[in-house]
Amino acid sequence: MNMVSSVQTAKKLSGSLVPSPAAAKPLAVVGGVLAIVAALLPWVTFRFNDGPYPELATLQFFDAPLQVTGFRLHLLLFGVAAVAVALVPKVPGRGRVLRALGWGVFAVSLVTTVFIVGLGGGLGAATAADGASAFGGIVGVLAGLLLVLSAAATGVGEVPRWSTDVPKPVAWLALLLAFACVLYLVSLTLTAGGLGGASNPYAGPVFLAFLGMAGGLLGALNGVGLVKWISVLSERHRGFSIVVLLLCALALPLTEAGTDYWMTVATTIGVYAATAIGLNVVVGLAGLLDLGYVAFMGVGAFVGANLSGAAAAKLGITLPFPVAALVAAVIAGIIGAIVGSPTLRVRGDYLAIVTLAFGEIFTRSAQNDIGGLTGGPNAIPGIPAVSIGGTAFNQPLEVGGLELPGGVLYYFMIVLVVGAVMAIFANLKNSRIGRAWIAIREDEDAARAMGIKTGRAKILAFLTGATLAGLAGAIFAHKLGTASYDSFKFLESVTLLAAVILGGMGTIPGAVLGAALLFVLPEKLREFSDYRLLIFGLALVFIMRFRPQGLVPDRVRRAELAGETAEGKSIQQVEEALVAEQESVDHAPERDAKGDRS
Amino acid sequence: MTALAQDTAHPVLEARGVTMVFGGLTALNDVSLRLDRGKIVGLIGPNGAGKTTFFNCLTGLYTPTKGTVLLSGRRLAPDPSEVTIAGVARTFQNIRLFPNMTVLENVLVGRHCRMRQGPIASLLHGPSFRREENAAKQRSRELLAFVGLASAEDEIARNLPYGDQRRLEIARALATDPKVLLLDEPTAGMNPQETEAARQLIFAIRDTGVSVVVIEHDIKFIFGLCDSVSVLVQGELLVEGRPEVVRADPRVIEAYLGKPPEEIESETRGAAEQDKREKP
Repeated sequence: MNMVSSVQTAKKLSGSLVPSPAAAKPLAVVGGVLAIVAALLPWVTFRFNDGPYPELATLQFFDAPLQVTGFRLHLLLFGVAAVAVALVPKVPGRGRVLRALGWGVFAVSLVTTVFIVGLGGGLGAATAADGASAFGGIVGVLAGLLLVLSAAATGVGEVPRWSTDVPKPVAWLALLLAFACVLYLVSLTLTAGGLGGASNPYAGPVFLAFLGMAGGLLGALNGVGLVKWISVLSERHRGFSIVVLLLCALALPLTEAGTDYWMTVATTIGVYAATAIGLNVVVGLAGLLDLGYVAFMGVGAFVGANLSGAAAAKLGITLPFPVAALVAAVIAGIIGAIVGSPTLRVRGDYLAIVTLAFGEIFTRSAQNDIGGLTGGPNAIPGIPAVSIGGTAFNQPLEVGGLELPGGVLYYFMIVLVVGAVMAIFANLKNSRIGRAWIAIREDEDAARAMGIKTGRAKILAFLTGATLAGLAGAIFAHKLGTASYDSFKFLESVTLLAAVILGGMGTIPGAVLGAALLFVLPEKLREFSDYRLLIFGLALVFIMRFRPQGLVPDRVRRAELAGETAEGKSIQQVEEALVAEQESVDHAPERDAKGDRS
Repeated sequence: MTALAQDTAHPVLEARGVTMVFGGLTALNDVSLRLDRGKIVGLIGPNGAGKTTFFNCLTGLYTPTKGTVLLSGRRLAPDPSEVTIAGVARTFQNIRLFPNMTVLENVLVGRHCRMRQGPIASLLHGPSFRREENAAKQRSRELLAFVGLASAEDEIARNLPYGDQRRLEIARALATDPKVLLLDEPTAGMNPQETEAARQLIFAIRDTGVSVVVIEHDIKFIFGLCDSVSVLVQGELLVEGRPEVVRADPRVIEAYLGKPPEEIESETRGAAEQDKREKP
């Protein structure tokens, strides 16, 4: 019955486009087979140049089927999976799986095809030209669409729930495996396409195609119910999960991503993730839209730089890094509280404008070197690297025969810092103070009527967020070796805000994922620097249109924006049940005319 | 609840000559009200008579132009959070829950002003933090059971049916351990069964030692509930007294109902409904 009602829902949504349920299986099989065919077909009518990507993408240099690698391998596997899911009886959440696989195939094919057309100089590159034909891309896109159609015909029901009553060892093993897979996926994602740059024009498309694959894979796993199962298990074995997750994060240098470059990227992501979590306190919990937030990170960076003993620093005070970072955090926090206090009298849009102005004041002051503490346009260069016992954090490390890349200590440090920031966020959220923040976000007057001193609570939110940003800023300056006003402009504030909203307001994994995406994408799309912001903006628009609740939504946020209740039932079903109930009440004989429940 | 023991000389809540002027408009003119311990006082009056304005003056949302509000003889500061901390809780005419929090979380927010955890304790989640948190949760669950929402604690407040939202608002207000509870139209939009349940709930609240002020349009409801009724007309206190006295007062009948006494019984219901339909 569930299945039928959701099919009806799907039909209502997209009109006559959705084929009948009977067509679901053939559509899925055809789509899957087409995806396999696409993987084996040539994709380009001529040879781009030397290198692994185009070589395998052309007709004459492609040795199918033995050398199926990269995006072709992903398409092949997705195709096989789709056929299997279509033919095997009783696959849980079949519709969702097919839909995820379909969009995955579609995204991989579309990204690759668009890239080939764009770089190959026209449609001929991906169809037929010079006596050669290459329809792999078009077949792939078609396969993806067919799979999505078959998913619509199957009907997308609720995510199936698996029993979570498993013995402890099984749960632990499952969690261990799951987190190891996450680690593997993260390292693959980071390194997918290699370093972006002039020498490697394929970094962007390979990375985007990989993201499409990863999204499809995670969607399919979620569709079967696996993701939910793991998340329930990890919630139940919280301590164990945290330890394993931390270990996995610390193990990243041992994977393919264990090079200087990726350590730097990962550290930068960590810095922005910590900042984004801080912003999440202000925006996600307390609902105070802060458009000048990156200024606090800047305060932390400049304070840290001035206390680092850099030659350009005016103060001439040299403090050990932990002390300097703490001082930076505290000063940023104090400034946060000071900035917060005049904003107490403004709400909503007005608050956003006041904070925007503050951010601008900070950038301009730093640019003009007011007080001589920021170095102006020259920045403060030459901040010495953090070191412990003579080991500089930016040097490679060798521990018992294990060679670790340069910057690995910075990475370890930021992992621990992000872990601590996460703990701070989670603890505050589940406390009297966190509830007060959320209450203010929901209804400030009602919050005051409940005895909450809203002014104090708001200042505390600003203070907490600014402290975290200041800490991240100090680490940022030391890692980078310079502190420049350039790094703390309005655009950074907006990007951080986008990271929070994109990832999912009020959640920790959301902020981390959002920060990772927003700061890796530009890195990977370096070759397309002209179109980088365009692609970036388009991606944001699409994600906000199709997943307004964010990538990892809060339970309640999901309920609010995705038309689902907290238990994941669709609002439509709930409403239908309510209408039915109402009707039965309406027919009750003792009904009084006065009881009009409008 | 400890406050119950002290100070029996003063009424628990007293408003003296409250006047509220908005620009050139006098919304309230010299309104006084006296609420004795363990009593229920009703506040009635036609639309626009200033009932909600009076509530807002009592709870500190507005600062009265003239006059004072006393709780057990002590002056209340005109600040909503201070008033709530002192022991006056309220509900709102148009329900104002925290829509995206769960039912239990809504009530826990009500416990806020009776909890002591500071920022450091909230960061560290130590043993005393957990004790207080568990105690607050337990008290909140008791209150939810008291208003009949025990099974709904994990629901999102916004998804509750209308009547349950009203009850949740009362539970949230009770969570602040008030001496006085101000209810702004607690039965608006309810059917007769729900109204009767609300009446029983208010009696039960009174029996726990909380004094109650109720604004209502449903005159039958008010007269069956209150120990004393005040009638507010165009910002002025017209009459106050025991329900049967107020009910028979010709000025009330004229100002509020505009009908001769013989017809009150039959028309009262109609007038109340008329009012309701005019409300948004």
